Amino acid sequence: MKKYKTYLKYFIYFVISVSVIIISYRSAKPRYKPEHYTDIFKDFSWLNDWPKWLDFPLMQPLNSGFDWLIVNYGMFFEGINNFLLGLYTSMRNSIVDLPWPLVIAIVITITYFASGRKTQTTVLVAFCTFFLGFLSPRYWDKCIMTTCIVVIGMLLCIVIGIPVGIAMARNKKVRNALLPILDLMQTIPSFCYLIPGILLFGLGAVPAIIAIFVYAVPPLIRLTDLGIRLVDKEVIEASEAFGASKKQTLWGVQIPLALPNIMQGINQCTMMSLAMVVIASMIGTRGIGDEVLLGLQQLNVGMATEAGIAIVLLAIIFDRITQSYGEKMQERTQPKKKINF
Amino acid sequence: MKFLKKLIFSAFFISTFSLLGTSANAACKVHLGDFDWDSANVHTAIVSYILKNGYGCDVEVTKGSTTPIMAAHYDGQLDIITEVWRDNIVQIHEEAVAKGQIVELGVNTPSSTQGFYVDKATSDKYNLKTVEDMMKPEIAKLFADPEAPGKGRMTSCISGWTCYTINMVKHKVYGLDKFYTNFDPGSGGALDAAIAGAFKKGKPVFTYYWTPTGLMGKVDLVQLKEPAYDNACWTKMMVVVEDIKANGPDAYKDTCASAFVDMSLTKSATTKFANDPANKPIIDFVKKYSVPTAEVNKALGFYMTADGDLEATAKDFLQGSSAWTEWMPADVAAKVKASL
Repeated sequence: MKKYKTYLKYFIYFVISVSVIIISYRSAKPRYKPEHYTDIFKDFSWLNDWPKWLDFPLMQPLNSGFDWLIVNYGMFFEGINNFLLGLYTSMRNSIVDLPWPLVIAIVITITYFASGRKTQTTVLVAFCTFFLGFLSPRYWDKCIMTTCIVVIGMLLCIVIGIPVGIAMARNKKVRNALLPILDLMQTIPSFCYLIPGILLFGLGAVPAIIAIFVYAVPPLIRLTDLGIRLVDKEVIEASEAFGASKKQTLWGVQIPLALPNIMQGINQCTMMSLAMVVIASMIGTRGIGDEVLLGLQQLNVGMATEAGIAIVLLAIIFDRITQSYGEKMQERTQPKKKINF
Repeated sequence: MKFLKKLIFSAFFISTFSLLGTSANAACKVHLGDFDWDSANVHTAIVSYILKNGYGCDVEVTKGSTTPIMAAHYDGQLDIITEVWRDNIVQIHEEAVAKGQIVELGVNTPSSTQGFYVDKATSDKYNLKTVEDMMKPEIAKLFADPEAPGKGRMTSCISGWTCYTINMVKHKVYGLDKFYTNFDPGSGGALDAAIAGAFKKGKPVFTYYWTPTGLMGKVDLVQLKEPAYDNACWTKMMVVVEDIKANGPDAYKDTCASAFVDMSLTKSATTKFANDPANKPIIDFVKKYSVPTAEVNKALGFYMTADGDLEATAKDFLQGSSAWTEWMPADVAAKVKASL
């Protein structure tokens, strides 16, 4: 019985591939086809080069599907656009209006408390922040714009990514369905979704935020999933033995124990967001990335490198804050064992 | 089994050697540089088709965006560029000519238009015909820039190209800057996508654009009238433009401005390639190569329907006219004709 089922499966695959080939043959342009389809079986010269009639017509349906999306759901995307753009502009304007020493002071305060009062990290971050404006006064406002986009992109990633990661860890079917999608999101060239992003959302910050989401959410989902699955079975059994419900186990045991991994995911997510926001300058996103682009457009290597250094500094700031916060978490949930000799 | 392995290996080696053999036997080797916009693709396709089938050359095409391709060209890695938007990169291009890195090979498309465009529907509805017509707050509202409240947005040229700075100066001279932002779309693909997207959604478009382009055949854009081109005025403006490019936007001084000059697109080759006597026939051919704007537009129209099949586009162009036979000796032309 089981054998019969596997054969049926193979048969279905076979039928699907044959029908796909027939569809592609029928939709190929007449000038690419032999005069009659029986010619294929008489003249085998098409085995040398890939024949032009053996071409699966994926482009046209994708194009018309995309057009349909724009025409029918334009309002929906407009809504997302306005929401994200409102968030971005209000955040940007409020920070740009602040005097710069105050911004540095705020960054220092955040770092100091997020890192659990580590002086060394705080001093490093303060130094990097100061150096952003010090490199070139032009960079200060642009770095703020980039930061705002990265932060909003990250929030989006966290809000969607962590619940998805939890769902993946708890249900094998969800994981099997989502893994190929995550692979796709991580490997598809960014311009494949940057340019459609312009068609849907227009030039500017919003397609960049969407691109950040596509590019940076997979590591967060994967690490959340991994973190929750790595929680010791014994610990979960113990919590169940004490009569904890599934919900209580999740919130009281699994998530706290998975926090170091989740924080690592957020850290990775931040780094990848920053990488994407630089690429996004090619679709008209304002920020420190356009300084790099401008330098390269004018073959001005010095200018591009200077802006590149600013991006590295920005990355160090983000990395140190999230990393040290993660370490603090780790110390809280898994205190280092003291070894007494 | 061992025999089979040996057989496969030897077959592999023989095929590699024979491949190398053919490339060594070819009369010449040409490395063309191509860009990420369609008119350059079409020109490169036509030239490489003729070089391949007429002159029997080995042609390699490398495609990329302006800066890397031009940098590789000045460096001598790419032999010939078939479409250079000279005026946009005039500084570095002239520097390369002065240094003797490249030689210019004359005009490719005699005239190309650049300017400010508005979509036809909006232009008809609000009677927008000139740049002056745009300068009303209620008109600017139509093109609202979501990132700069209270202003309209004109999608402009790519920053770093001369046209971006030209547009900036024009905005200030005309007074457009009070109503519109000069928005840098970041790349050519992004600009096209922004225009196409606005048309799909039926939204008003106010943009800088140029012909010949494939997109121009697909969308209905109306060029806005500017003060007529005047050589003295343009020269005066370009001084300010160069100053801004060197010293930043604060270097702006009051100047005058006029419509874009009809810009000719040019071709160029590396000095090393051009000076090699073996390449003389090729250089002669490329020098003569020139296609009027109308024919370029026709080829671009075909390219759009051919699903990006560049060879088919080149063939269609060569079948459609015979003006090209004058670019080359009769025997070469005959060879090209035979291959069509």
